[in-house]
Amino acid sequence: MSTQTSDGSAPTRATVRDRLERVTDPELDRSIVALEYVDAIEIDGDRVAVDLTLPTAWCSPAFAWMMAVDARDEIESLPAVEEARITLHEHMHETEINRGVNEDLSFADAFPDADGDVAAVRAELDDKARVARQYDAVEALLESGLDAETIADMRRRALERSDGADSATVYVRDRSFAVAVPAAPLERYLEKARETDLVSAPDDHLFRTPEGEPIDPDSFGLVHRRGRLAQVNMSSQGGICDGLREAREGRLEETADD
Amino acid sequence: MSSGTDVHGAMYQHNGEEIFVIDGHVHLWDATEANIKHQGGEEFIQCFYDYHTTFTPEGRQWDIDEYRKYGADRMVEDLFGNAAADMAIFQPTYLTDFYDDGFNTTEQNAELATEHPERFVLNGTFDPRDGEEGLEYLEDLHETYDIPGVKLYTAEWRGDSKGWRLDDEDAFEFLQKCADLGIENIHPHKGPTIRPLNRDAFDVKDVDDAASSFPELNFIVEHVGLPRLDDFCWIAAQETNVYGGLAVAAPFAQNRPGKFSEIMSELLWWLGEDRILFGSDYALWNPDWLVEEVMEAELTQEHRMEYGVEWDTETKKKVMGENAAELYDIDIEAKRQAFEDDEISQQFDLEDHYTGEEPAPADD
Repeated sequence: MSTQTSDGSAPTRATVRDRLERVTDPELDRSIVALEYVDAIEIDGDRVAVDLTLPTAWCSPAFAWMMAVDARDEIESLPAVEEARITLHEHMHETEINRGVNEDLSFADAFPDADGDVAAVRAELDDKARVARQYDAVEALLESGLDAETIADMRRRALERSDGADSATVYVRDRSFAVAVPAAPLERYLEKARETDLVSAPDDHLFRTPEGEPIDPDSFGLVHRRGRLAQVNMSSQGGICDGLREAREGRLEETADD
Repeated sequence: MSSGTDVHGAMYQHNGEEIFVIDGHVHLWDATEANIKHQGGEEFIQCFYDYHTTFTPEGRQWDIDEYRKYGADRMVEDLFGNAAADMAIFQPTYLTDFYDDGFNTTEQNAELATEHPERFVLNGTFDPRDGEEGLEYLEDLHETYDIPGVKLYTAEWRGDSKGWRLDDEDAFEFLQKCADLGIENIHPHKGPTIRPLNRDAFDVKDVDDAASSFPELNFIVEHVGLPRLDDFCWIAAQETNVYGGLAVAAPFAQNRPGKFSEIMSELLWWLGEDRILFGSDYALWNPDWLVEEVMEAELTQEHRMEYGVEWDTETKKKVMGENAAELYDIDIEAKRQAFEDDEISQQFDLEDHYTGEEPAPADD
C-alpha cells in the first residue's frame, strides 16, 4: 500500500516503487519492476531520478519510449514529486529517448524519422493485454461453476467488488443468484478493459472478442482459446527477451572479469 | 529419451522410425567488415549473434569472427556431416543497402546449391519497390535457377523506405508473377524485432489478404510470426494456404523446454500437423545440435491434456521433412535411394546409414 505523504515532504523509495509497479512492458504486459528493468531510484527532495535498462539495446524504440514516459508520468503523479528524470541505459536510441522524455517532447518530435505514431502501437498492445487478461478472468469464472453462455452474456454491473477483498461477487440470472469469485484476475482484467474503453457503462458486456465485440455464446470456446494464445505469445516473447538479457549480462560479466 | 535416437543414422532414427529431415531455412551469409557499407549491417549481424548465443548451448557457440562468414565447406559439414539434415532450403536475405555484395543473396547461395543440387533447394526473392526491374529480376531468377519459392523481407530498408507490405498493389503484381511462373512457395519473414529494422514492417496481418487473394500460392510465415504468434495463428486458422516456419521457435527446445512445449501445442492446435515446417535458420542456429533437441523435445503432460495434441513420431516426420517435401515436390523415397551414394554421403561416409536399414515403408 502506498505510504505517500501529501504535505510536501519528500517521497519515499517505497512510494516511487509502488508507482513504477504500475508501469508495464507493453509487449509482455508485465511490470517493469518484476522484469527487473529498474536499476536505481534516487530521491533528492522533490526530485526523483530513475535508471532503466531493457533486455537488449534494440528493444523497440516505441516500447522503450512508452515505458520511459509511463514511468515519468506515474512518478510525477505523486503530489510530493516536482520532477521525475528518467535515464535509459544501454539502448541504441537512449539519447533520443532520454532527451524526449525529460524535455516533455512528443514521440514524433523525439523521433522525426519514425513512421506512424506511438498511440496506435500502444492501443494494439493494450488490446492484446486485455485479451490475455480476459483469459484468466474467464478461467476464474469457469472454475467458480459459471457456464459459457452466462459468462458471454454477463454485463459490467453483474460484478461487485469491495476494496481489498480477495473475492468479488458475480450476480447472475437477473440477480437471483450470487457467486463468489477470486477478485485478482477480474481486477486485473477490468483495469485493462477500462483502458481500452470497452467496458465502462453498467450495461456493457463484461467480456469481448479480441476485436472488441460481445461474444457469441457459440464461439465462446474459440474466443477463450484466443485469450490463451495471446498469453502464450506474450510469455514466449518474454522468454526471448529474458534470454537476450541473460546473454547480455553474461557478456558484461565476462568483460568485467577481463 | 536419447536411447530412442541414433544421431549417426543419416536418416534420423527416432523410436526406430526413420525421419527424413529437410531444414527449411538456411543461409550462407557474408557479414565480414569488408562487406559492410552501412552501420545497419554491423548492427544486424551483432543482433543475429546475440540471438545465436542466447539460444545455443554453451559448448556449441561460435565466436563472432567465424559467425561473420563461415563459408560453404563448413556449412556442408554442419548440415550434413553428422547427418542432422538430409536436405536444406536456402532462403536469401539481400540487405544490399547494408552490405556491398549483399548479406545472403540467391547468387551467393547458388554457388553451393548448384554444386549439390540433390541436397539443396534454392529460393529467390523479390522486392516490389524495384518495380519493372524487379519483375525482370524475378524472371531472371526463374530462368537461371528455376526457383520454386521466394523469401521476402518486408522490413528491409531501401533508400528512405523502411519496409513494404505484402498486401499492397505492387506486391500483388509480384505475387501474380510468381503464380504465373509457378513459383509457389512464398516465405515472408515475420520475426522478432531485429535492430535496426522497424517493427511495423514485420506486422503479420498483411499475409491474410495476400493469402486469400492467391489461393494457388503457399505462404510459409517464417518465425511463426513471433512476437505476433497470436495474430499469425489466427490468420493461419482461417487461411489454409498459410504455413508456419519454426525458425526461432525451435531453439526454445534447448533452453526453454516448457515454452517450446507451449508454442508447439498452440501451433498444432491452430494449424494442425500438416502446416508446420522445421527450419534451423542456420547459421543463427546449427542443425548439428538443434535437430536432435527438437526431435527429443516433449510436450508437457499439462499441455497435452489442455490442447489435446501430440508431438509424436508421426507428427515429427511431417514437421521435420514431409511437409516441406509436399510443398517442394520432393520425393523422399527417391531421395533416400539417391543419397546412398551421392557426393555428400561419400564425403562423410554416410552410405551405410542410407543403405543399412531395411527399406522404409512408403509414406502415405
